[in-house]
Amino acid sequence: MPGQKLELPGVKYIIAVASGKGGVGKSTVAANLALALHMHGQRVGLMDADIYGPSVPMMFGLGLVDQTKTPFPIEKFGLSLMSMGFLVDPNQAIIWRGPKVAQAVGSFLGQINWGELDFLIIDLPPGTGDAQLTLSQAAPLTGALIVTQPAEVSLIDARKGVRMFEEVRVPILGIIENMSYLVATDGSKHTPFGSGGGKKLASEIGVPFLGEIPIDQMVSTCGDSGEPIVRKYPEHAVSKAYTELAATMLREVPKLTAAGLPAVDLG
Amino acid sequence: MTAGTTQPLKPLSLKKDGDGLRIEWNDGTTTFAPFRALRKSCPCASCTEDVGKPIDPFRVLSAQEAAAGAPVPVGMKPVGFYAYQITWNDGHDTGIYPLELLRSLGENVSPR
Repeated sequence: MPGQKLELPGVKYIIAVASGKGGVGKSTVAANLALALHMHGQRVGLMDADIYGPSVPMMFGLGLVDQTKTPFPIEKFGLSLMSMGFLVDPNQAIIWRGPKVAQAVGSFLGQINWGELDFLIIDLPPGTGDAQLTLSQAAPLTGALIVTQPAEVSLIDARKGVRMFEEVRVPILGIIENMSYLVATDGSKHTPFGSGGGKKLASEIGVPFLGEIPIDQMVSTCGDSGEPIVRKYPEHAVSKAYTELAATMLREVPKLTAAGLPAVDLG
Repeated sequence: MTAGTTQPLKPLSLKKDGDGLRIEWNDGTTTFAPFRALRKSCPCASCTEDVGKPIDPFRVLSAQEAAAGAPVPVGMKPVGFYAYQITWNDGHDTGIYPLELLRSLGENVSPR
């Protein structure tokens, strides 16, 4: 995979949604952000790079498809989607070593005809392993968004994710704090995972803090029922947080310049 | 939008110069790294493992290795935004050289 730099000439910006930690809501953020960008008039693709635990099919009311008859990416709610979950039965475990994961991620990027897109959002698995490394080496990433919860246990791994992207020189667009607080029926605000963690991490590493997304049961209900909250309830407070995030992305992403390396003259 | 405020180290041009690689960097420095030093410092897993081990006197060289002579890169491609992968004339191509390594292996030959 290294050296096989993939060209995606029809895609303007490729954004990785990452975190070191699992279970912080990367897939939820990726899906809702993709839809929010689409609602801002953008052409958006969503690539699920979580090969072992794909979430995109369920969140979009899709599942296993007949590969011989289905052209990829699959179109749903105006987005172009690709996921391992379209290829493998959800009850079947994908028991692969790293190189196979890298190969699958490379195929999703390079062999799928993504066509003309403004944004390709890549939902990364947790950790700093094969999928992340393949993307950093082979994909012309515009930048990475780091998702974290406010709790210190999440920040520890988020820092590792940040460090990895710094090492491979992928610009960090900013930190999104998910599950920041919940609002009880009486209107009182609660912070079950603590507060200020995302802001703290952002200031520690010198990147923008892109906002807090509250906990709300509707988020998982919508995701599980196959229609992310941003599309199902666009006026919901959580949806508005995503719409704002998408607006920030539209404003800030074009400012990033790809730091491509020069070719070598070997005479 | 990016981490840090200082401009990260980046090569502006890389050119074969005799038996080494001349690199002009964005901080105004020019370095020269002999190919022999680059080959010897290959950061790939198998070369790294070999470091410190006694040379195996019974290792049979492949025809390509035997014919190669002094190390010369036959290909050098960017990897992402942070490294180059070198393909050597002996066929070895698994080493990915981060920019910091390329910089540290070169001697400063900046014009005064």
